[in-house]
Amino acid sequence: MAKTILTVDDSASVRQMVKFTLSEAGYRVIEAVDGKDAVVKLASPVQLVITDLNMPALDGIGLIRWVRANPACKGVPILMLTTESQEARKQEGRAAGATGWIVKPFTPQQLLAVVRKVLG
Amino acid sequence: MDAFQAGFFEEARELLAELELALLELDEKRDDPELVGRAFRALHTIKGSGAMFGLDELAGFTHHLETAFDRVRNGQLAVTSGLTNLALAASDQIKALLEQAAGRGVADQARGAEILARVGELTRAEQPTPPQPDSVPPPPERAGRGEIRLWRIRFRPAAEVLVNGVNPLLLLDELRQLGDLQVTADLSAIPPLRAIVPEHCYLAWDMTLATPAGRDAIRDVFIFVEDNSELAIETAVAPKPEAGRAPVAPPASENTPVRGAQPAASIRVAAAKLDQLVNLVGELVTVQARLSEAAARSNDPGILDIAELVERLTGELRENSMSIRMLPLRATFERFRRLVHDLGVDLGKDVELTVEGADTELDKTVIDQLNDPLVHLIRNSMDHGIETPEVRRAAGKRPTARIHLSALHSGANVLIRVSDDGRGLDAEAVRARAVEQGLIDSGARLSEQEIFSLILAPGFSTAREVTDVSGRGVGMDVVRRSVEALHGSIELNSRPSQGLTVTLRLPLTLAIIDGLLVRVGATSFVVPLANSLECVELTREDIQAAHGNHLANVRGELIPYIRLSEYFEMDTARPDREQIMVVETEHGLYGFAVDQVLGDHQTVIKNLGRLCRNVQVVSGATILGDGTVALILDPHRLVHNVIQTASERSGSLPGADGRRNREQHFHSKGQQDQCYAKQMEKLRP
Repeated sequence: MAKTILTVDDSASVRQMVKFTLSEAGYRVIEAVDGKDAVVKLASPVQLVITDLNMPALDGIGLIRWVRANPACKGVPILMLTTESQEARKQEGRAAGATGWIVKPFTPQQLLAVVRKVLG
Repeated sequence: MDAFQAGFFEEARELLAELELALLELDEKRDDPELVGRAFRALHTIKGSGAMFGLDELAGFTHHLETAFDRVRNGQLAVTSGLTNLALAASDQIKALLEQAAGRGVADQARGAEILARVGELTRAEQPTPPQPDSVPPPPERAGRGEIRLWRIRFRPAAEVLVNGVNPLLLLDELRQLGDLQVTADLSAIPPLRAIVPEHCYLAWDMTLATPAGRDAIRDVFIFVEDNSELAIETAVAPKPEAGRAPVAPPASENTPVRGAQPAASIRVAAAKLDQLVNLVGELVTVQARLSEAAARSNDPGILDIAELVERLTGELRENSMSIRMLPLRATFERFRRLVHDLGVDLGKDVELTVEGADTELDKTVIDQLNDPLVHLIRNSMDHGIETPEVRRAAGKRPTARIHLSALHSGANVLIRVSDDGRGLDAEAVRARAVEQGLIDSGARLSEQEIFSLILAPGFSTAREVTDVSGRGVGMDVVRRSVEALHGSIELNSRPSQGLTVTLRLPLTLAIIDGLLVRVGATSFVVPLANSLECVELTREDIQAAHGNHLANVRGELIPYIRLSEYFEMDTARPDREQIMVVETEHGLYGFAVDQVLGDHQTVIKNLGRLCRNVQVVSGATILGDGTVALILDPHRLVHNVIQTASERSGSLPGADGRRNREQHFHSKGQQDQCYAKQMEKLRP
């Protein structure tokens, strides 16, 4: 059974790129357009969440907090996508319980490397 | 990567529209953090995605603007009209860069540099530099060149790593990829059973790794956990003895499989594909009609059953595929904010745009063709209708003028209104101008409504001088033509000094309509169901009771009717019982007398083609189940033509010359209609 990855980003092109790259690598990818949407999609179990930080409705940090507070998602790795050059945002995400991060811009190879790192 | 770029371009354009909207609103509500947030997010996404899809110039430029809005967000920079105007200019530049990247046109470098310099001044940054992305953990390199060295690594993750989604065993596996790894688990920290928190990690590992990789590569393995873990990496002299090694457990089993696929919320589809789908559905509807008819003829209950099922499914499919093409008007409406803002600056007028009913949905093809007429109407309002603030103040009006855009459903139509609170139309001036331009006779008796509609005539302009914005006299007839091309109509309402309201009445869709199939002689016509109210019978007695007038008594109400066989000069015997379809037109209730009403019919509209483009009363044709062609009538035009001809005969419209012209005009139109109907009769199988 392929592992399922939820990609959360308000940018359709980023989602598309993430989805394409990971699908090619054999993962099953579902998409969410923002944190709120992600919360809905998390009704079914996923093995990894990749989320952007800046999003309308519920932002990445909020989503990470929600996932960590939700017993059904216990221990699910969360990768945050960040373009922030400031450390602050990243630290905030880590404090909220993010597993790791990927700095945009990234290449499909880099994305895969990080996903394999946390998913195996 | 290129495949994703196309998607990015489209998305970036939407983001720019969103940005522009936020900026314009910000110009009015300067302290709204929500708006600042929206502008920032749009910039942020354009920058982030742009860099990802290799558009470095775009990303670099956007970065500076993003920095400015980050400062606004943090309260370090105030929103001024200078900032919003600059940001709007910058957004245009981003658009240019985007088009350049898409291979359309070249962005003006100098302009970009100038904008950046001004952004730099605002943010008081010396010379903004592009962002230096943090280092991304590179994929682990396996067995590079160089000497194999022995490393001793001690790793004790924080207790809560498991909760945060880290699987320490994966890290060990990753290390194993770097070289030969010996692992010893340190179990000393495991508490007594009753004190164990099952979610905590109590293990630590002592490892020796023989690898050519350097310290940094090893550290990178732990990049996500090094902050809150105990990690020591040092070179070792000799491998540790293997005594006391605990076997490393295999990776924890995977979570339970996910049930059921979850569809994406939305997908982008090329418009051409949708058009094709609608075309195919159209063909299907035609075939389904044939099936239903064949089934009805066969009288075989089995076939009838299937035909009914197919009919129901086809109906649903039709509605579904049509709804795919429906888009809210919001995007179209919101685009005008920029137009109003820019024109306001150019003309020195203070105008606010209010929007209502932006969620009203219309067929995409209608929306696409609606943009130009609306631009014309807004420009007209801004230029001719709305006064300068001084004049408005002198007239006791609010100095800030308002243009109101609204959309609402009305049956199978959508009404789109553009109203302003400007000086309105002066019926007398319009009339005088029309006489001057030879559009009407000086003695003509016209209602106010008729006078207003004169400004829709080609070449009409009341503007005293030609301005940059409008006044060349090509505006309103363009609007009229575009709207008529969409099978819509225009209505003008105005009160002097109180403003002008232009109402566009547009059909929801252009491709398929629900119609009522009627028969006159051996020819079939389709009347749009949306216009049809009821069918009543017309007997010889009724006709006699009306003393030859074309009036039918429908439950006490007298309704004028038009006998289609007479209108089209068809050579058919009048049956004993005729039927009248009562239709609602812009001129009130009218009846169409036909030989027989056959029933409702899903009608796929086929254009008549260029040869018949001047035929007004027929809006298209459709193919019936048995393969014959039925003309689709336009009740509005038909009634309009009949009234026009009648009123000309009674002489209430312009005198001498004007009348002759108009009569000739309508006569030729009528003739065309009639010729066409006759031709259609010949087409019958």
